[in-house]
Amino acid sequence: MRRLVPHWVEPKALIGFIVAIAAAALWPALMKPSVYTQNQVTITFALIAAALAWNWLGGYLGQVSFGHSAMFGVGGFVAAKVLLAAPVPFAWAWIAGGLVAGLYALLWGHPTLRLRGPYFSIATIGVGEATRLIFTYWEWLTGGSSGTSLPIEVGLKQKLYFWGLGLLAVVFAASYALRKSSIGLGLLAIKSDVDAAADVGISSTFYQDLVLFLSGVTVGITGAFYASYISFIEPGDMFGFERSISFVLMSVIGGVGTVVGPALGAVVFVILRESLIARYPQLYLGFFGVLLILVILFEPLGIMGIVFRLARKVGLVRPQIVAKAAPGGAVQE
Amino acid sequence: MSAPILRAEKVSKRFGGLKAVDEVDLELAEHEILGVIGPNGAGKTTLFSLIAGSIPPTSGTVRLRDRVISGLPAHRAVHAGIVRTHQIVRPFGNLTVLENVMVGAIYGKRGPVGARDRALDVMQFVGLAERASQLPAGLTLAGRKRLELARALATEPVVLLLDEVIAGVNPVEALQMADLIRKVREKRGLSCILIEHVMPAVMALSDRVIVLDAGKKIAEGKPQDVVRDPKVIAAYLGESAAKEVGKPA
Repeated sequence: MRRLVPHWVEPKALIGFIVAIAAAALWPALMKPSVYTQNQVTITFALIAAALAWNWLGGYLGQVSFGHSAMFGVGGFVAAKVLLAAPVPFAWAWIAGGLVAGLYALLWGHPTLRLRGPYFSIATIGVGEATRLIFTYWEWLTGGSSGTSLPIEVGLKQKLYFWGLGLLAVVFAASYALRKSSIGLGLLAIKSDVDAAADVGISSTFYQDLVLFLSGVTVGITGAFYASYISFIEPGDMFGFERSISFVLMSVIGGVGTVVGPALGAVVFVILRESLIARYPQLYLGFFGVLLILVILFEPLGIMGIVFRLARKVGLVRPQIVAKAAPGGAVQE
Repeated sequence: MSAPILRAEKVSKRFGGLKAVDEVDLELAEHEILGVIGPNGAGKTTLFSLIAGSIPPTSGTVRLRDRVISGLPAHRAVHAGIVRTHQIVRPFGNLTVLENVMVGAIYGKRGPVGARDRALDVMQFVGLAERASQLPAGLTLAGRKRLELARALATEPVVLLLDEVIAGVNPVEALQMADLIRKVREKRGLSCILIEHVMPAVMALSDRVIVLDAGKKIAEGKPQDVVRDPKVIAAYLGESAAKEVGKPA
């Protein structure tokens, strides 16, 4: 019985995970939500997956990327090109988009991940912007600034709800595994002290590249999913700096470096954006900026920080768990 | 004497115009504790970095048994069986004491299978077992130095490089640490190189001592002989002191 799952899987977490996925799978049939609501939830699944994947690099390894829109866009446009060129099932096209995005991430990430602290983040801003400009220029692939339309299928959005849920389930499980398995300890060690990690036998280069690749593949697949969902994509939206920032915001609001934080952050982000963008189209980004400052100043672990604080009051959480997520691996006491 | 387990041949490290380590030869026998002493800036820690793979030598080679390990990246040197501790302790502050040691066990020579049990064994061995679930910040300096040692031991090395694991702790803790180092050799069969400023500890622990000054090896031998060597006294205290000591009473 114990051999069914690896020893690092906590039974409570496993049960919670299965219940949540099952509830989400039954929700459309049982509650009959409006099409609009269900579609909003579908796209939120994809954004949660992207935020979790950003967090593998930015949270677990402490290498904050402001350029993840690059992989989101590459995944989206490659998948679109594949779908337009051949009548393959869309999941194949997503995987193709994800793989190309992962390889692209390695291409710029292998050299830049050797940079430490803020220098990596600065490099990623350049990567994101350069990628946006190149892809806007490459009209054969992206259609330039006028964009690309994808083939439309009847009833696609209803199907995508379940595909999105499946994608989220896989990414969530991967998030948990990356953190709780023995790899997780290695990543935390690298985040805390790259050189000391090497001195106990960890190949920091290999694990940094691996995590960036996995993160790139996942964000690429999410971009491809997003492309299928909205069926019209253009480089300014896919590769925009705003999109890169949105991944950072979701993780920071929810709790950088925690397993579930980025998921909560993505939900809050989507709800806030939906309620603000219509009323204050010029101001809503400014509002997120203020929120970001407040979180970093007062609760660096975001929503999860508040959760931990409450849980510690009733004696449920030990400070060690908080320390793991703490930015830069510093102990916060 | 059996074949040395570790042999460095004419290793040098140049930083620009500075020769931090200058053609140093060194041999470490199986189960030996070799002390490395020398004034500040003599190149002791750089020599460790060259042996442990943290930095590649400018010239010369280091062999572990028959295998050349100089120039290997640090993590490969660990897998080959050589591990260092740091002069300024570098625990992973975001991991508990047990998890720190587990990192060594997982990523060391034997891999993740049974890593937790091996880590617990090592913690028992160094006397940190009761601290397992604490964060390193809650340990005393002596405790953190033990942790540094435990994490290194968990990688299952054959050669252990100890960089000032005694300096800075109180006299009682220093004695305990010296006992622990002896125990490492006796119970776990390791060979150690020890950089240390605390002379009584070096004298008591080392089978042999080498002395570095300005990157060069200036003396080698039994601890009690080395400390009487005029060259060594000159390096530490200056020429005039060396003459003073050398005079018949």
